Amino acid sequence: MHYGALLRRLPISIDPNSHVPIYQQIVDHIRRSVAAGVYRPGEPIPSLRQLALELLVNPNTVQRAYEQLEREGLIQARRGLGMFVTENGAVSALTKSQAAVYSAFTEGIRAGKAARMPAQRIRTTFDRAWDDTNRGATEES
Amino acid sequence: MAETSSRLAIETDDLTKRFGGKTAVDHLTLRIPVGTTFGFIGPNGAGKTTTIKMLMGMLRMNGGQARVLGIDVSTDPARMKQRVGYVPELHFIYRWMRVTEVIGFCRALYDQWNDRLCAEVLKLFELDPNKKVKHLSKGMVVKLALLLAIAHEPEVLILDEPTSGLDPLIREEFLDSVLRTICERQRTVLFSSHTLSDVQRMADTIGIVYEGRLLAECATEELLVGTKRVRAVLRDGATPGEPPAGTIWQRFERREWLLTVRGFSPDTVAYLKAKYPVDSVEVFDLGLEDVFKDFVKGRRASA
Repeated sequence: MHYGALLRRLPISIDPNSHVPIYQQIVDHIRRSVAAGVYRPGEPIPSLRQLALELLVNPNTVQRAYEQLEREGLIQARRGLGMFVTENGAVSALTKSQAAVYSAFTEGIRAGKAARMPAQRIRTTFDRAWDDTNRGATEES
Repeated sequence: MAETSSRLAIETDDLTKRFGGKTAVDHLTLRIPVGTTFGFIGPNGAGKTTTIKMLMGMLRMNGGQARVLGIDVSTDPARMKQRVGYVPELHFIYRWMRVTEVIGFCRALYDQWNDRLCAEVLKLFELDPNKKVKHLSKGMVVKLALLLAIAHEPEVLILDEPTSGLDPLIREEFLDSVLRTICERQRTVLFSSHTLSDVQRMADTIGIVYEGRLLAECATEELLVGTKRVRAVLRDGATPGEPPAGTIWQRFERREWLLTVRGFSPDTVAYLKAKYPVDSVEVFDLGLEDVFKDFVKGRRASA
């Protein structure tokens, strides 16, 4: 459910009251920014200090987020220059975003099962949500 | 590198303080590594300020030990204070002095004092050097206290509820300044706070204290990710018994058994399903505020 909440928030802001750890929120944010093409392969992402002060969070937390993104192959360090998006960073960001979508759906399915909804009703609910989202998008544009 | 990260900035062993018959701090053992930020949370009267005062050598302990940067605080507090910055809960700044006089007064207490940094922060905080302390707003007094705590470039910064009673804008400026000092060098920060959103922003590690004891000391992320609320709906007639391992709080009403479990894993759900006739078991994430409250409520209930 929290992914939905994250998508609707301003692009650069974290929720210090959320159950999602701040480091995870930063990971999600950078990943989404790369998937959306804000930062392209070969381009730098904000420095530790810059992001820590912008989001008002501990620089150690930003560092942990960057370490995870580096392990995932989304970004890599260039000595003395900071962190840069890798060549296949955009592809990797898309794959991970898919995982986020999967987990959001899983959460919805669990909520439906807990309310003893039959599978068919969960599916029609998905279709309705899909239609509503599309309608919302066309109304906005 | 491994050696640096394992060095401790603050360590206490069985730290104990009694006021008359009441134990304010009860065998508190803390380990705060160099370069980390420790968020100290607990209800009012839990022993946070008493602990901090003992660390600052301002209160004599009844038992145990405390070292800050390896220096025993009860034998050598003066040497320790040269390397520590402290923002107390109540600001003991002479109200009749002008800002510039207070700075001169404090400057004389330290072997080392960075005039340039002092001037920079003064400007950043928009503190008027000629104003008397008694004419400053509450937010300005807190900023002055922070300036006095960082101008001697301490390795450790201890803040006792620094943002309580500040408006959101001044709180943001204050956090920004603390973060700048953390960014600049490998500085260790211990701060107590009731503003849990600030704790979540700032702290690498969180210590939950209640009745002078440490209920939990754990990485902020681990505390959030590893603590879950579980809701088991029991079949008619069934009653709860032994809760799963790690349960810190529980409540049973009608058919609903609510549990808050620390160190949650799929085993928690498997245990409930195997041991009790359940209709359903659901798992929910918790924010820091709920985690904190459940730790304290659970402890109260078991006392």
